[in-house]
Amino acid sequence: MKKTKKVFGLLTATALIAAMVGCGNSNGNGSSTGSNSPSPSSSPTAPASSPAAPAEKLKKISIFQSKVEIAESLEALTKKYTEETGNEVEVWGSAGDAYSTQLRAKLAANEGPNLFSVGTGSDAEKFKSYFYDLSNEPYASNIAPNIALKLDGKVVGVPYGVEGFGLVYNKSLVDPNNVKDLASFTAALEKLKADGKNGLSLSQEAYFLIGHIINYPFALQPDSKAFIEKLNKGEVKMAETKEFQEFAKFMDAIKANTGNPMEVKYDSQMGDFATGKTAMVHQGNWSYGMLKDFGDLGFEIGMMPFPLAGNSKLSIGVASNWVINGTSGADEIKAASAFLNWLLTSETGKNAIVNEFKFIPAMTNIEANELDPLSKDVFEATKSGQTIPWAFNDFPQGIIVNDLAPATQEFFLSKDMTGEQLLQKLDALWAKAAK
Amino acid sequence: MSKRKDKAWYALFTVPLLFVFTTVVIIPFVIGIGYSFVKWDGIPANPKVFVGFDNFVQLFQDDRFIASSWNTVQFTVLSLIAVNVFGLLLSLLVTTKLRVSNAARTLFFMPNLIGGLILGYIWQFIFTDAFKLIGQKTGLGSIFFNWLLDPQFALYAMVIVFTWQMAGYTMIIYIAGIQGIPDDMIEAAKVDGANMWQRLTRIIFPLLMPSFTICFFLTLSGAFKMFDVNLSLTKGGPNNSTEMFAMNIFNEIFGYGHYGLGQAKAIVFFLVVAILTLTQVAITKRKEVQM
Repeated sequence: MKKTKKVFGLLTATALIAAMVGCGNSNGNGSSTGSNSPSPSSSPTAPASSPAAPAEKLKKISIFQSKVEIAESLEALTKKYTEETGNEVEVWGSAGDAYSTQLRAKLAANEGPNLFSVGTGSDAEKFKSYFYDLSNEPYASNIAPNIALKLDGKVVGVPYGVEGFGLVYNKSLVDPNNVKDLASFTAALEKLKADGKNGLSLSQEAYFLIGHIINYPFALQPDSKAFIEKLNKGEVKMAETKEFQEFAKFMDAIKANTGNPMEVKYDSQMGDFATGKTAMVHQGNWSYGMLKDFGDLGFEIGMMPFPLAGNSKLSIGVASNWVINGTSGADEIKAASAFLNWLLTSETGKNAIVNEFKFIPAMTNIEANELDPLSKDVFEATKSGQTIPWAFNDFPQGIIVNDLAPATQEFFLSKDMTGEQLLQKLDALWAKAAK
Repeated sequence: MSKRKDKAWYALFTVPLLFVFTTVVIIPFVIGIGYSFVKWDGIPANPKVFVGFDNFVQLFQDDRFIASSWNTVQFTVLSLIAVNVFGLLLSLLVTTKLRVSNAARTLFFMPNLIGGLILGYIWQFIFTDAFKLIGQKTGLGSIFFNWLLDPQFALYAMVIVFTWQMAGYTMIIYIAGIQGIPDDMIEAAKVDGANMWQRLTRIIFPLLMPSFTICFFLTLSGAFKMFDVNLSLTKGGPNNSTEMFAMNIFNEIFGYGHYGLGQAKAIVFFLVVAILTLTQVAITKRKEVQM
């Protein structure tokens, strides 16, 4: 009896120690970016000293990026990169919503990735001490006009691709010529309601509820960035600005004539649209991925501008940009830039961006031929310049999720709150959040 | 010799735990106290500005923080009552000579084995879809509607889910307590003519005080720092009406990027939880009786 106890104790102790050692090991491998320990699988690819090496062997780099949708394709692509060039790239698992938090943690631990992604606007501003200046890199000149990520006159980031949103509509139920201003918009909603259809659907997620739709009154200002700065300082008020006042009326019309968005989730929103129960949804080209799963819809879809204050343009912007971590070593920066160059100029890379990642290219040297209907509308608008910017990128951090969304929830849930009261509430919240 | 050996065994099992506890709890906590005096946005390369007690002053002017504390207090009081009433009732039920008592114990305990996040998502479905359907079918629309869209009812919904999760756990502790009460004592009381109610209030409850101490402590601290159900069930909504302490801190830090202010809130939070639970344990301990 005593013996078994002893044996058991020893076993447990060994297991514990093994576990600790194991953890330490895997941690070391996963996060250390500098260590170039060759794993057995990588040894056949010619080591640097080998005379047979085709080109200069670059240092292994790490990539960390925010888009979960492209995680698998990106990993597959890096394998191809290794095959074609012999250089190695390690892709860290995407974390989705927690991306920014994890990125900060990794940078704080001095284990930051060599190549990572950041959003546009205030998000990029936060990480600017890390950015490597890309202005002189060859691929930077291929970025489509006005959408490169620039800070202090330097190009610091390459856009993933452009994205756009507006009113995604069912062509058999809605005629865009009848949705040109507040009056016709309201009339269209009322008519659809009378026909037993839901005219327009927002959904409960913060960006789909308010974040995107409130972009219009901002983007329609002559200088949205300056307007936001004034708003932050309290020099202007939304409730006293013309475009916002009209926005309030649009919100009233939506509240009065459509279903409560608080009871709708993104997937049910797209589901109802795909099955013809909803005529319009306020969504972007990304939503096509979900529509595609429904197979043949039986009707054509398109994207039209949200007609606030006579707006006739789609909201188009860049959600994510590639940036190189300037704090990593010079040879790692070089390797990271080489990978970016390969991604943006080689046939394999360009093909992956359009066909695997399904991005609408933001580079002048990448063609896009087979875009889905929504992306096509966005691409057309981009080419012809019929676009308004994503002003919400310049909002104070977290304000959409933390302040604007709760206020909008209240607006849609309480029976007698008007759009005007919503604006006043937003003004009050903004004043607090911008401090 | 054998004493030395005992010490070695003791150390073997304590040291790793002590090591882990120090590295993941003690050290971050101390560092955290430091952060609560700075203004910082969480980007390592950006400056940390020392602001003294500004963060602590600021958090008391934060309406949303105050509102979240009120939510937490409401939630904690309701949960404390609900969890323990149900836990006790269930334990009394399964310690009677019921034929299915063993199966019942397992069933009642089971929700505790499911993580709070999952429970939250499951119940979210029940409140949003099932409740609405029941309301439509039965015409009891005033009771069965989507509770998660009503500020007050969303809080009750969280209490229900938390009770669902915790009652089985407290039940186990109460069962242990009840089984620790000698049968002859109950027998004697029966012989003396004490009825069920008298037996409960005069004998069982006083002798159960140690269990009450533990259960109150667990529910009090658990409810106070509850985050998972909050996140998965309501995300603090609608309109922040169910945002609790922990979630407010999380939002302050990761939502707004106010690391210093959030950390200051976390310190206050720690103090409040510590004071509350210590007081509670002190009070209930005093009521414990020796057999």
